[in-house]
Amino acid sequence: MDLNQSMRLLSSWIAQIGGLGLDLLWRFIHLVVSLWYIVSGIIEAVESYAISLGLNKKYSSINIEKLRCLAVVVDIEEARDVSKVIELLQWLRTIGVKQVGLFDSQGLLKKSKDMILGTVPGSVLSEEIGEKNSSPDQNPLALEFISSSDNKEAVMKAANILLQDYLKSSRPENDKGENFFTETHLNEALRVVGENVHAPDLLLVYGPIRSHLGFPAWRLRYTEIVHMGSLNYMRYGSLLKAIHKFTGVHQNYGT
Amino acid sequence: MLSLFSVVFTFLALFLLIPGLFISRRLRLHFSLKNIIRFYKITASKYGDERNDERPMGEKEKRAKNRMPKHVAVILDGNRRWAEKRGLGTSDGHEAGVKRLMENAKDCFAMGTNTISLFAFSTENWERPEDEVNCLMALFKKHFKSEMPYFQRDKIKISVIGNRAKISQSLLGLIEEVEEATKSYEGKQLIIAIDYSGRFDILQACKNLATKVKDGLIQVEDIDEKAMENELMTKCSEFPNPDLLIRTSGEQRISNFFLWQSAYTELYFPNVLWPDFGEAEYLDALTWYQQRQRRFGRRV
Repeated sequence: MDLNQSMRLLSSWIAQIGGLGLDLLWRFIHLVVSLWYIVSGIIEAVESYAISLGLNKKYSSINIEKLRCLAVVVDIEEARDVSKVIELLQWLRTIGVKQVGLFDSQGLLKKSKDMILGTVPGSVLSEEIGEKNSSPDQNPLALEFISSSDNKEAVMKAANILLQDYLKSSRPENDKGENFFTETHLNEALRVVGENVHAPDLLLVYGPIRSHLGFPAWRLRYTEIVHMGSLNYMRYGSLLKAIHKFTGVHQNYGT
Repeated sequence: MLSLFSVVFTFLALFLLIPGLFISRRLRLHFSLKNIIRFYKITASKYGDERNDERPMGEKEKRAKNRMPKHVAVILDGNRRWAEKRGLGTSDGHEAGVKRLMENAKDCFAMGTNTISLFAFSTENWERPEDEVNCLMALFKKHFKSEMPYFQRDKIKISVIGNRAKISQSLLGLIEEVEEATKSYEGKQLIIAIDYSGRFDILQACKNLATKVKDGLIQVEDIDEKAMENELMTKCSEFPNPDLLIRTSGEQRISNFFLWQSAYTELYFPNVLWPDFGEAEYLDALTWYQQRQRRFGRRV
């Protein structure tokens, strides 16, 4: 074996060992970060239990009036356990939340609508609020059930309505639709197709993914988004903390 | 015995040094930090490098392929608060923010990210004090000119998205010049959102579709979600939907940025002001992203 071949072989070995070393270092970094998040999670869990037991006076009173509409996004795997969703709604009612939008991408919660409404005391569909002149419950919990069909599909239907209006109207040749495609018009068109256009103040995401999972995009402009972890391990203290933190947020809306 | 001691010592050094990187942002051992970041860049780019890999891929390798975000979106929040904390003027905060922006963009591209989107100026920002708005516009002009050699040297395609109606002619001319000069580049793209609003994006897409129908280019029946996505401003990118969206300063909302595009985007809200968001913080975001399990709304 001549010198060049030996050098090439040596380079190859060094490259392989170097690659292995970098791989190990990268995995080590992941391990450290994971440990950090585990420790943070433990601290958060302890704090949450302390809040649930009322040991932390800071959370004993919440200005719930600031939270007019709350939305809850549930991962589709976790939405199958409706009992946890019901428990969450009962907690929200205890805290004093009046309006909750429940979202999962596949519409599983929509299908369980009747069961949820029958099990959570004082809950009514949000569209029925105001229709009933007298409610046995003076503080009903208005529920809205949302799925992916209320997101992009709904915007497309609304856009089609605006398009039809645009095509039917008599307009100048160079009119590009400035007067037909405005936020106000799209809001109106969304109402026509049966969609709620009110933006939730706070969006709680339950599941492994920190994403809004396709919640109606049009409504999310200034919504606070908080990831709450898995629904299976939800804690009352964490819920209270998230809502309390929201009530302290000051938004400048970009100005 | 000596070799065992050296292995243990190396392990302890790494165990103490790397946690320090995350725990204490005051840790500035530049020599060590730069070397660690260099190691990370090389390793991370190894995970993202699909082009040279011609072996058939197993399940694990396919998962590794998806571990680098192809499109990272950033909401650059916190410049004013950063300046206020230091007793500086707002313009100093924005200047520091732009400097950080270019540094982070270079790091992102080095790590294999294809597209970076920056929410530089929202439609609502026009309501800010006039001198602040003028300062921001001046900063855009200054840095478009000064960074042009870097864009051309590193072959970075620049795209500016947003409503251009209110932008001054001088800045508009510069934007068009930069876009024209870099339009042929592939592989790296910097999308800068100026006077952008997610709702405006959706509405202008609707208008474009309406115009196409009016002109007979498409039929009404052809209008669907895909057609809509092809009209959004992010159509300029090979990867229009961000994999990771970072909003600094601890605020937890997307503030009208990429409303349509962010359905399955991982949202990361670090509690650090934008001018302080450096290599270590981006490393943290990337590590966090790689630990997520993305399903895009589908069942596992």
